[in-house]
Amino acid sequence: MRRRVGRLRFERGLAAAQLAVRGGLRYATSAPRLFVAAGENRERLRNDLAMQTADDVTATLGTMKGVMVKLGQMASYVDDGLAPSVRRTLSRLQDSVPPMSPELAAGVIEEELGQAPDDLFERWDPEPIAAASIGQVHRAITRDGRAVAVKVQYPRIAEMMAADLDNVSLLRRMLRVTAPSQDVDGLIAELRERVLEELDYRKEAVNQQLLHEYYSGHPTISVPAIVGELSGRRVVTSELATGARFADVLSWPQAERDLAGETLYRFVFRSLYEVHAFNGDPHPGNYLFHGGGKVTFLDFGMVKHFTDADLLPLMDMARTLCVDGSPAEFRASLEEAGFLVPGAPLSDDQIVDHLAVFYQLVRDSKTVTVTGDYASAVVRRFFDVRSPVAQYARIPRSYVVLQRINLGLFGLLGELRATANWRAIAEEIWPFMQAPPTTPMGSAELPWLASRPAVASTRA
Amino acid sequence: MSEYADAAGLVERSAAALVNAIPDRPADEGFFGPGSVAWRISGDLSAPVAGLRALMIQALHPLAMAGVDQHSDWRADPVGRLAATSAYLANITFGERVAAQRAAARVRRIHERVTGVDPETGQPYAASDPALLLWVHAALVDSNIAARQMFGTPLQPGDADRYVEEMVVAAELVGVPAELVPDSQAALGKYLTWVQPQLACTPAARESMAYLLDPPGLDVEVAEIWQDIREATLISLPGWARAMYGYTVPELTAARREEIRQALGVLDAVFIGEPGVLEARQRITLRMRAAARA
Repeated sequence: MRRRVGRLRFERGLAAAQLAVRGGLRYATSAPRLFVAAGENRERLRNDLAMQTADDVTATLGTMKGVMVKLGQMASYVDDGLAPSVRRTLSRLQDSVPPMSPELAAGVIEEELGQAPDDLFERWDPEPIAAASIGQVHRAITRDGRAVAVKVQYPRIAEMMAADLDNVSLLRRMLRVTAPSQDVDGLIAELRERVLEELDYRKEAVNQQLLHEYYSGHPTISVPAIVGELSGRRVVTSELATGARFADVLSWPQAERDLAGETLYRFVFRSLYEVHAFNGDPHPGNYLFHGGGKVTFLDFGMVKHFTDADLLPLMDMARTLCVDGSPAEFRASLEEAGFLVPGAPLSDDQIVDHLAVFYQLVRDSKTVTVTGDYASAVVRRFFDVRSPVAQYARIPRSYVVLQRINLGLFGLLGELRATANWRAIAEEIWPFMQAPPTTPMGSAELPWLASRPAVASTRA
Repeated sequence: MSEYADAAGLVERSAAALVNAIPDRPADEGFFGPGSVAWRISGDLSAPVAGLRALMIQALHPLAMAGVDQHSDWRADPVGRLAATSAYLANITFGERVAAQRAAARVRRIHERVTGVDPETGQPYAASDPALLLWVHAALVDSNIAARQMFGTPLQPGDADRYVEEMVVAAELVGVPAELVPDSQAALGKYLTWVQPQLACTPAARESMAYLLDPPGLDVEVAEIWQDIREATLISLPGWARAMYGYTVPELTAARREEIRQALGVLDAVFIGEPGVLEARQRITLRMRAAARA
């Protein structure tokens, strides 16, 4: 047996927990059937153009292109804020990345785990089933009979992107064009931090396992478990899941779409307020839908962790505006968190008028349908530099990723035209309320809520 | 002295020139073919530097410069003129033989009408003069190699010689007898040294190149990185050419080289964003792979 290079070393507790939850994959069928299903749902990839050598990877993703692909993914939720030419460039660049050839991918696995995939796995599909931003996903069956998804990172990409992210002057110039209304330096700092973190799959494995354990037993939310012994810096293996894609869900009956929307909403805010973690990559491709509101969440490469000090002001803002209905206190909490320059020559009402759109779903307890128009209005307001309030509004760095709640989640809910009493659901989740359940899904959560471990301090 | 038009649409029109020149289902492999070095080195991120470097060197021949300055619509539509050159080169490289020959014939017809007297030297010139055509050809071939070696993906051993040899046919197409055209890097170097006494930096050359190095009206995402492209071009010039223009450049450190490559990568990304460019490049790649398998 050759030495496994870069094998993921789980903390003891995590490894023990992983054994305990193995029975918990709720939507799983048998491994061979899952393996086949994953093949049937294979993404159409340009294998004919596959990158065959590490030099091909350099030509395709080196010299800023990988960074721009990443930027494009982050920006795909904020389309309205981008010039059309920039949007087109970033999206074409994403299209320009073909998969790795089977040989190139196998080489990465061998370097990382010490053995070729054919030796490591019982079954290994040399053709990828899906693209990932800095790698691709293969299906396999482990020697102990589990169907798994193996994400393999492009060779050299980590070194290249780290070097490209060091060219802050060029990033600054690019972002001035790409996102002129944003705090460019804050965005760069956040982009660097998130991307560098994403390049080390061991971090993703820890985050995914954390959320897998937290949601273990949840009636509608599922996060596949990590297979630690088959993971490393550039390879991450997790239990395989299949399901419908977001685009398919759009043709489902409205009641199904509402349930899917409710699960997305619960996942985002429970993760934020209870796990203190937010998945900064709310890409529709990262969700698999199973009907009845059941959703499997994939890809935890961009998880941002928050401290209590980060979250308190957010809760205060929601509480002061939506529960207490106090514009003056709302303003004070905005200033406290750094969202608003203190002492700006604006009335409290002006401030509420400007920012209330972000809270529109939860200001009143009533049933609301999220529309595409609402999602666009949020985005437009976000990028609205003409409002008198805009010049005093700021986005503190630790919250940059959080904008995706507004710009990503609301966009998806809008596409679903999801209907719910969002305020009532929010009250269930808000740590300062923790109201009893108001929907069937909320009631179904009760046994899980009662059984789950305390999550006082869950930062990785 | 007439004013230059601005450079809006430079990337867009260069991209369209490439896209239109790559046939979908070609009847033949053209004059180079998918196994050629010319195909393999196309689409490198150093291409904009190669193009600018070639223009700067070509402009140092007073008769070549006078021909462009007095006859073409260079000042009125510099972007159109550059796009036309890009289209011609793409046609010669990737087009079917008939398309390449047709493009070459058109250029030769235009050249027939371009005659005059250079105001600087008082010498008569004709654009169809093989000596001038050879100069333009040599500057281009040398620049494609130099820019790539300095900022792009370095060539494999032997590729530079092979490329110079392959390109002889391009010179022939435009009207230079093959026996006059350098067919190795050594021969190309010798030729470039031999020509130097005939060169001069005329006011027309200086003005044209000052414009190219700092073109007004560039699209915003390109304008942000043009300083890097400009510096890369000046660094890539042979010392004698830079001296004739009177430009000085800082020494190229490894870190600065990487920054320039990153800026070129951004420019290439903008190019890929233009309609059809990605598909055109993919067609080229697929044909090269099919040829490699055969």
